[in-house]
Amino acid sequence: MTLVTREGEPRRAARLRSGQLFLLPSAVIICVFVLYPIVQSFWMSLHDWSMFQAVHPFVGMANYAELLGDPRFWNALRNTAIFTVATVPVQVITGLLLAVVLSRASWWAVFLRSVYFFPVISSFATMAIVWRFLLSADVGPTASWLRAAGLVPIDFLHTTAWALPAIVLVSLWKNIGFTMVILVAALQDVPEYLNEAAVLDGANAFQRFVNVTVPSIRHALLFTSVIAVIASLQVFDQVYVMTRGGPLFHTETLVTYMYEQGFSEFRSGYAAAIAWVLFLLIMLVSLIQLRLFRYSDVD
Amino acid sequence: MHLRTSLIALAAASGLALGVAAQAAGADPVKLTYWSGFTGGDKQAYLDLIKKFNDTHPDIQIDYQLQPWDSIAQKLPTAIASGAGPDLATPDYNVATIQQYVANGLALPLDDLVGQVGKGVLPQAVVDAFSVNGKLYAAPANFATLLLYYNKDLLQAAGIAAPPKTMQELQDDAVKLSNGQDKYGIALADNATIQMWPVLIWSDGGDLITNNCSDLADPKTVGTVEKWSGLIRDKKISPVGLTGQDADNLFAAGKAAFEINGPWAAGEYKAINFGVAPVPVGASDKPVTLASTVPTIVSAKTGHPKEAQEFLAWWLSKDTQAQLSTAAAYAPSRTDMANDASIASNPTVAAFAAQVPYARLYLPTEKDFAKIDTGIFIPAIQSAEQAGNAADALKAANDQLNKLLGCS
Repeated sequence: MTLVTREGEPRRAARLRSGQLFLLPSAVIICVFVLYPIVQSFWMSLHDWSMFQAVHPFVGMANYAELLGDPRFWNALRNTAIFTVATVPVQVITGLLLAVVLSRASWWAVFLRSVYFFPVISSFATMAIVWRFLLSADVGPTASWLRAAGLVPIDFLHTTAWALPAIVLVSLWKNIGFTMVILVAALQDVPEYLNEAAVLDGANAFQRFVNVTVPSIRHALLFTSVIAVIASLQVFDQVYVMTRGGPLFHTETLVTYMYEQGFSEFRSGYAAAIAWVLFLLIMLVSLIQLRLFRYSDVD
Repeated sequence: MHLRTSLIALAAASGLALGVAAQAAGADPVKLTYWSGFTGGDKQAYLDLIKKFNDTHPDIQIDYQLQPWDSIAQKLPTAIASGAGPDLATPDYNVATIQQYVANGLALPLDDLVGQVGKGVLPQAVVDAFSVNGKLYAAPANFATLLLYYNKDLLQAAGIAAPPKTMQELQDDAVKLSNGQDKYGIALADNATIQMWPVLIWSDGGDLITNNCSDLADPKTVGTVEKWSGLIRDKKISPVGLTGQDADNLFAAGKAAFEINGPWAAGEYKAINFGVAPVPVGASDKPVTLASTVPTIVSAKTGHPKEAQEFLAWWLSKDTQAQLSTAAAYAPSRTDMANDASIASNPTVAAFAAQVPYARLYLPTEKDFAKIDTGIFIPAIQSAEQAGNAADALKAANDQLNKLLGCS
């Protein structure tokens, strides 16, 4: 008996150690670059923290209280919410429709999938510069085409009414390909026998889509919509490059406002408070999404 | 005996070698890192000058690192504070930014430099902007004034013989040169730009701040903004919401006839037939334009304060300033070069230099510069341009600004 434990223990310990070693690199990276900054940023949000200063006075919840009375924060929150509501459903539904149409293995479907996926692999900052040029009413090609067609071109990125819609459209162009590719993979995993059974039961194509296909890829729909919501709430690159939050704060989002507070007014503590509000918002929305999708798991 | 001589020879040789090595180590040049944001049309002029300094100063070598302005703004304070920063840096093109560096002990007072350059040599406006409690904390990397750029071909096609001398003429010409669609009289940028609107306001006798109180609701300021934003809305003399880059693109594409800009832009306009003229005179009847100077600070953590200031003294020397002026059309950062042959012989350089007496810095010492500029002034101008409510927008901005300044 003693012999067994003696033999068993070290072996188990050795397995454990190698397992931990494999985890170590990513655990260290997560601790250093994710967990520590999260804790540190909360600590900063409780201080009047400027990266210039050596001393950071503790102010408790004062930064959060100031947020409540800051009209630019509420404006940024509203713009972020509008952006999210305008992009996520369109991105997931269009991505799903494209996936259905292009999930077959014909050469043109493969080709079109690559075309739709192409914007995903390019840098968003670079693409935003290209779009800023394309949409420019003065030097961009869109304006001259509209003019050639006898229409009055719109100065998309400098007009309060059009700047946010323009950024929504560019974001959709950039991100739909990602949703599509995930859903194509999910569609290809839907067991053929389910569809065959539904055909035998007399279901038409639309009924099969709603009652067989969509429930079968629910996990992928959940994944793409959660990722899309998180990305939308954190929208930054395209706004920073295309409008810098303008004109007149009409495209200022939580992250661009946070960036401005942190890096142009050097109020790191206040910026950290914005980051924490955003963090809680993302957590809340993600939990709601997970709950909604889990609910339908019951049937 | 033989062996002994060999040993002595060997000892002597190794001693010699050690001595040479020691000497070589002593002659190791001091390396200074310099973070600079001059990535525009004037980039080459700076690179050439740095190379010249390195070639003529074997004991000091500048490692010149070009970076975008916003990248410097993000990294520099923490880099200096942690001791990992450069020895020299241009923190920002807005001069007020150095106030924060000084207040937090990140910039070194340049006492050596003041001794080497001499009092009264730097323009007084620059000394005032770069000094805190009587100590100079930065040296001007450049000194520029703004002129009115005009597209000769567009003016000629519209039958305008000479560039405007008054703001009224500029407005009339701008209306005449706009077609309400894709041709604009003027490219007037309101954000992310060298300031153009403040020049218009000053020319009519208005201002942003005087005696630490807001002037945004001053009738003169309101009148200027109403006039120009009205022309932009009704006559489409300029697109709205332009950044400096947008305005430059518009002028470079020959789609705008006028632009108020600094010497660095000239290099980007090679494709068009342009001229420069003084900024027209407004209702105040006095010439005025914007002065722009980029501060170079020495890090408080540098290990080589003496060498860093030696470099800055060289930078401000007459020869270097003459070369910078000729290469990039900057006005010299010295007051004693007005009659210098290299300035007088080059008409473009002379035109920019001639404006020095009339040139003002924009909010040079406001410690809340970013809040005033991007948070209050620019939104008020954009609101006037977009919604046509100049008086209301400026009144609201006036209240905000007074609250921020603590002026009742």
